[in-house]
Amino acid sequence: MRRVVLYERFERFWHWAQALIIITMMLTGFEIRGILGLHLFGFQRAVTVHNALAVALVTLIVFAIFWHVTTGEWRQYIPTRKFLREMVAFYLTGIFKGASHPVKKHRMAKLNPLQRLAYLGFKVLIIPVQITTGALYYFYPNLQHAFGWSPSALWFIAVVHVLGAFGLVAFLIGHVYLTTTGHTPLTNIKAMITGWEDLPDDEYFDENP
Amino acid sequence: MPHPPRKPSPPRMRRILQFLVGLLVLVPLTVHAQETAAPAPSGHGSFTAAHAAKARTQTADHSKFKILQGPFKDGDGPAVTKACLTCHTKAAQQVMATSHWTWNVSKDGNDGYGKSTFLVNNYCLTIIGGNTEGCTRCHAGYGFKDKSFDFNQQENVDCLVCHDTTGDYEKERAGMPNPAVPLADVAQKVGSPTLKNCGACHFFGGGANATKHGDLDDTILKAPRTEDVHMSKQGAGMDCVDCHTSDSHKVGGPNYVIPADRREQPKFPGESVSRMSCAACHTDAPHKSYVLNRHYQKVACQTCHIPAFARGERPTNTFWDWATSGRLKDGRPYEEKDANGWPTYTSMRGKMVWERNVKPSYIWYNGNLKFTRLTDTLPASRPVVLNPAEGSYTDPNAKIWPFKFHEATQPYDPVLNKLVAPFTDGPPGSGAYWGDWKMDIAVKKGMDTAGLPYSGQFDYLRTTMLWPITHMVAPKEQALTCTECHARKGRLAAVPGFYLIGRDRGTGVDFIGFAVIILTILGVGIHGVIRYLHGRH
Repeated sequence: MRRVVLYERFERFWHWAQALIIITMMLTGFEIRGILGLHLFGFQRAVTVHNALAVALVTLIVFAIFWHVTTGEWRQYIPTRKFLREMVAFYLTGIFKGASHPVKKHRMAKLNPLQRLAYLGFKVLIIPVQITTGALYYFYPNLQHAFGWSPSALWFIAVVHVLGAFGLVAFLIGHVYLTTTGHTPLTNIKAMITGWEDLPDDEYFDENP
Repeated sequence: MPHPPRKPSPPRMRRILQFLVGLLVLVPLTVHAQETAAPAPSGHGSFTAAHAAKARTQTADHSKFKILQGPFKDGDGPAVTKACLTCHTKAAQQVMATSHWTWNVSKDGNDGYGKSTFLVNNYCLTIIGGNTEGCTRCHAGYGFKDKSFDFNQQENVDCLVCHDTTGDYEKERAGMPNPAVPLADVAQKVGSPTLKNCGACHFFGGGANATKHGDLDDTILKAPRTEDVHMSKQGAGMDCVDCHTSDSHKVGGPNYVIPADRREQPKFPGESVSRMSCAACHTDAPHKSYVLNRHYQKVACQTCHIPAFARGERPTNTFWDWATSGRLKDGRPYEEKDANGWPTYTSMRGKMVWERNVKPSYIWYNGNLKFTRLTDTLPASRPVVLNPAEGSYTDPNAKIWPFKFHEATQPYDPVLNKLVAPFTDGPPGSGAYWGDWKMDIAVKKGMDTAGLPYSGQFDYLRTTMLWPITHMVAPKEQALTCTECHARKGRLAAVPGFYLIGRDRGTGVDFIGFAVIILTILGVGIHGVIRYLHGRH
């Protein structure tokens, strides 16, 4: 076993900042929509916070994209079919029998094929859809004025934005649950906080300096 | 009154450009631009139209003019007018061109929109069925008794009703001055119209104080700032004419033809333009919050800033039931009052409902009310809305406006399907409704006097009349909060044609959303339970 820095400082900051922003946006968003009679911020403050956090999230994502590109970390998210079947089988049956994880975590390949698919989908589908529909929502009065958009356009934008939000909640639930499937239930979360994780020795790469 | 042409909207390309530039500028602004300001101390700190108006000083002391020394015969208003006209040579001609004098305007090329012609309201109905003399107490002239009145006699223009500053001036039937009025004294102290001058008639529309408008009554004269920030002496202390500016005696006001929210601005300093849009003084972006400012596009300022009308001590009439009028006790008319002393039934008018602090109704309104004249055939739909408002979400000039909806029943001709003009105001034996209590005779007489066709049959019709609410603006701390409208059953629950966040949520969408969440929870829950039962991981 060896301890490696699996998640670098910026990556951890990005992850937790994004988590905080998205969870707060969920709460404010649901309050604005009036779901479950939620009353946490008050409508006006909820709108203010939601809109401000949207700008914060976009800013954070711009930095994250820069980080991914300059560090080459974006390669971690290239989808692969290798071991995909094994991963599905692991979660469906193997995990109950105590089978070992079919994919070895590695500094240069820290995501298993299911994670790659899930996070890639999150990054290139859900988040862009939310940001786009959110921006269209916010600027709808301008767009309606400039292009003569029909009132039902706003309804459509809202529906997509809300469905995306529900999707994010589901993602969050699944995501948090799956973090408990590590070596111990808290292994993965600890790693995401401290950055360090114990990985099995690897004969191809020697990452210890 | 002709209304000035609207400014053409900018061409499409420019609008797109504006939008793109706006996008660049506004995104960063939104971060800190959305908190509303903390409540300001009471009173108005900034420079307002009122301050400018109060600074106006007269350049003539009218008591120095010999011709105004009199003496004038008691009640001889025309003699005073003749004296005024010796200096103000064009004044009467100017007044005679206005609706204050003609009580009639043309609209879309059609004549007959006015009290002296064919307009009908939901209160005292019409004047032309023989009621002119009682109603012209509020005419800006002398001697308007019936349709024989000569609208071209300059000395019959009443200068004093608008320009009296003493408070002693009072008009009687046919608009003649009360003989007790000290005419010479009043004439020597003329000045610019104040709340009292306009209020003498406009506070009493519908026949009595506060009855008609709901946002205008004499409580405004002594109102606390919370009742009306503009006209209250504790507030801006403005007079009507500070917004309803005039040009050649033509007083700006959204009467039967003028759109309510024009954004005209003076082209040079001092140019006389109507300040009758809020934006003329407050600009169209008065909030610190960009999101709030953008409401301006579709929501009238009044909608949020007048949370309720009739906020003074006086109730306004909301229901007037002519169909139940005319009941007598021992052959005599009577009145019933509720605990507050407000009439719930009078033989003259029927059942009545009075309300204070009334939450307005909200509808799309582009400033145009389609009035119904006596000569117009009624629409098939019931109840008949006498003056439906034009506008919709897609109408670029329309906004959501607060209204007083006034309900009534009134007589009509079911054969010709038109409204009628009953003769109401007259002594017993004259055939007038308030003398002899026979509606069939009163309608017949009234229609004869008006010179209008009548089938001889009448029935009662349910009618609704819309009154835009624009006065009694509350302090900003009392403006509506978001969830008054952005809620499922909020104030705008019934306003159609658009998606309103917080109000409109397809339950289907939320259902799908919750289904996805519940399935996810079930999925991970079952997975977790199985893991736990296997005692591993």
